[in-house]
Amino acid sequence: MDNRLIEILEEIQPEVDYETCNDLVDGHYLNSLAILSLIAELEEEYDITIPTVEIVPDNFNSAEGIWNMIQRLQEEE
Amino acid sequence: MIYVKRGIGILTFLLGLTGLLLVTSSVFVPKNNTEESGMEEVSANGILGEKENTIDVLIVGDSESYASISPMQLWRDAGYTAYVTGTSAQTLDYSLQMVKRAFLTQAPKMVILETNAVYRDVSGEKAMISRLGEYFSIFQYHNRWKHIRWDDFKGDVNYTWTNDFKGYRHSKAVKSCEKKDYMKETSEIADIPEGNMEYVKEIKNLCDEHGAKLLLLRTPSTLNWNYAKHNGVKKMAEELGCEQIDMNLMDEEVQIDWEKDTRDKGDHLNDYGAEKVTRVLTEYLKETGLFQDHRKDSVYAQWNESLKRYTNVTGL
Amino acid sequence: MLSLSSYFSVTYLALILPVTVVLYAVLPQRFRRLVLLAASYIFFWAVSEKLLVFLLAATCSIHYFGLWLADMQRESDACIAAAPKEQRKELRRQALRKQRVVLAFAIGSQLGTLLVLKYTPFFTSNINSLLQFAGSSVQFEIPAFVMPIGISFYTMQAMSYLFDVYRKIIPADRNLFRLALFMSFFPQIMEGPICRYSETAEQLWEAPKMQYQNFLSGIQRIFYGVMKKLVVADRLNLFIKNIFSGYENYDGFVIAVAAVCYTLQLYMDFSGTMDLVIGSGEIFGITMPENFKRPFFSASISEFWKRWHITLGAWFKDYIFYPMSMSKPLKKLTVKARKKLGNHFGPLIAGTIALFCVWLSNGLWHGAGWHYIFFGMYHFALILCGSIFEPFALKITGKLHISRSSRPYRCMQIIRTGILVCIGELFFRAHGLRAGLVMFKKMVTDFRLTTVWDQSFFTLGMDRHDFLITAVFVVFLFIIGIYQEKGVVLRQCLARRNVCVQYLCFYALIMFVVIFGAYGRGYVPVDPMYAGF
Repeated sequence: MDNRLIEILEEIQPEVDYETCNDLVDGHYLNSLAILSLIAELEEEYDITIPTVEIVPDNFNSAEGIWNMIQRLQEEE
Repeated sequence: MIYVKRGIGILTFLLGLTGLLLVTSSVFVPKNNTEESGMEEVSANGILGEKENTIDVLIVGDSESYASISPMQLWRDAGYTAYVTGTSAQTLDYSLQMVKRAFLTQAPKMVILETNAVYRDVSGEKAMISRLGEYFSIFQYHNRWKHIRWDDFKGDVNYTWTNDFKGYRHSKAVKSCEKKDYMKETSEIADIPEGNMEYVKEIKNLCDEHGAKLLLLRTPSTLNWNYAKHNGVKKMAEELGCEQIDMNLMDEEVQIDWEKDTRDKGDHLNDYGAEKVTRVLTEYLKETGLFQDHRKDSVYAQWNESLKRYTNVTGL
Repeated sequence: MLSLSSYFSVTYLALILPVTVVLYAVLPQRFRRLVLLAASYIFFWAVSEKLLVFLLAATCSIHYFGLWLADMQRESDACIAAAPKEQRKELRRQALRKQRVVLAFAIGSQLGTLLVLKYTPFFTSNINSLLQFAGSSVQFEIPAFVMPIGISFYTMQAMSYLFDVYRKIIPADRNLFRLALFMSFFPQIMEGPICRYSETAEQLWEAPKMQYQNFLSGIQRIFYGVMKKLVVADRLNLFIKNIFSGYENYDGFVIAVAAVCYTLQLYMDFSGTMDLVIGSGEIFGITMPENFKRPFFSASISEFWKRWHITLGAWFKDYIFYPMSMSKPLKKLTVKARKKLGNHFGPLIAGTIALFCVWLSNGLWHGAGWHYIFFGMYHFALILCGSIFEPFALKITGKLHISRSSRPYRCMQIIRTGILVCIGELFFRAHGLRAGLVMFKKMVTDFRLTTVWDQSFFTLGMDRHDFLITAVFVVFLFIIGIYQEKGVVLRQCLARRNVCVQYLCFYALIMFVVIFGAYGRGYVPVDPMYAGF
């Protein structure tokens, strides 16, 4: 996994251990505004477009999930 | 095997439930027919306190019945005993219940159903609760949990209270009514709500079983009645094979004066209107030849006492 | 003729449901699904009669548009796959644009029906007052439409189906009957939960074999719902009705109690209905999404809306909030604002715009009236304030060394949220916005306890016994709630105990309803509160 991703996440919401946490959304660690912020950052950083369809808890509940989504979207580009 | 086991399980469960309902019912049922002991509609349920087999005529129906028929006047003029178990906005499920209750201790020769109630819808919930209430009175008296006392657990029921007015609720109020031509002849037939026919049939069967005559009577009311409804009841009476009288079509005999004889603009009659209706009814009952004059009978001494108090209060 | 207005009616509980259950239990699978479909249509007919055509039209329309969208997607996918790589992006963009037109048309026809039926009187009367205000003598006649019950709920399901097909989350359904069953499944058609196609359509069509354990726990859940509705919700009704219709005569204390009681009534009525609905589904082995998750344990308003009417909130989030805030212009705004304002306030602007639309829709969804819009705006403002002040709150609690996860702090948050919710519901229930404002003012300026001292408080529709039993029941639910918050699934625990204990629980549940239910003489059955929305 990319270290940069963890950095981005920590910048947005510092109080979480992203290596282990797997209920970022369901556990209310990332609220909807944080997700908006995150998406804007990810799109810039990885040069992807994240469509609305991808905004489901499964994709955002863990750093790993987010990373998998990024890779998938990069391949599709 | 599993099905047998489950079947037995469900059966035991239902048996236990029935037992529980029976026990709680015996606790919750009012132990007397007074308001303090939790009886509903005491004016009507005063009949429970009457001596056994002393009532000649039982009247059921909604507020029209207790506003239009005065048993004390009937007693004064003819010596017949009648009791009005009508209650406000009575639906037929309760009428049926009152007839059943009455037949337990009384042997009326005639049951009069005031037919305004025939057009009042009985909701499914209400029908079910009163059906269940026949077997488990807990459904009817559950709200008494607020006033349960130690005595309620002893379970002896003893009705002691009687009503001097025998169910009649008097009023001298006069609010005249403007609309007088409410009985315009028509061939239309107003539909009787579904299920209500069944209730009337059941009442009829009960009457037949107990050798009583059923009379469908409509007392005058401009607000609640019209010709189409008259036709509906007439048709019902024909189907059931019982007699019906509609006093709304008997202006000449009854002579209701809509300026003076109604307490609330044609909805209900007042004392003056009731006097006229009861007079006509008395004549009708005399003509049937079914009843005897009890005025001199010592068993009925109470009724003369009641008449004195009735006259004192109403001045009638 | 069958007629019906509530799940808490004999017609449903003693006729439609049992008959369906028996048929479902004895017939083989391919008939079971038809039993469900037939029961659903009979049920809807009993509720709405001729208005059934609206449901039919909606179902046929989404079936048709769904397939159209799927065809377009297949064509464009094939086209894109065949094209050279550098053209693909452009082709995809073009294809999406075309699909969007079809989608817009499909959504428009659903939404349009709902809007016309539900809001025309409201809009016309507002236009009329505007005209009057402008001095014009032109006035439009206010039309009176009859709405099929449940339209607000099934339209949401229909739209989510279309969006999901467009987003390729689900394939378009070729089977009209399966789609019809998804739209009309009788336990949920009147009051939700608003299900997604991916959640229930397959299950319903699968029509799983009935299981004894499901049957028992379904019945348990139904009784639990009946208890909430009959013991509490209907009991509170008379008191609430008296206070809200004659609010001028009462002081602030009485109004405050009425506001709390109304919130309670709404919860008991709606969540009780949901217990009944989900329990009914459970009997057939159908799992429906939960609509409530102990909302009164929420620490904030935004958390509250993740626990109260969950399926509606999720709908707005998925189909309004994210699509809007992620649309191109708003995304650009977020990117720019983040650079200037930082991570917290950056996305707030775009988020606020989207949030505003969500809450405007939420208010309007509940009904056509200014007080509903006010209700929406009230919650919008509260959530917005929550977001704006969050960093400050963090700073302050940090400086004061208050632990935000400590129990007293959390209790304080829960109570605060509860009070804010009750105030919102006050406006929600009030007869118009003006009445709501007057009532609120009374609550603040005219707070006296005189009615309690002279006992007249207990003559306003509920006597002290009524308040007592309500309180007992609320405490009972509260204790259950605490266990559930800790993750204990009480019904599973019960299922593991021996038969006697299970019987006793059932007996207790039934007798509690029989004795303490607010039914029979002196009570009027209350219409379901959410079916009217």
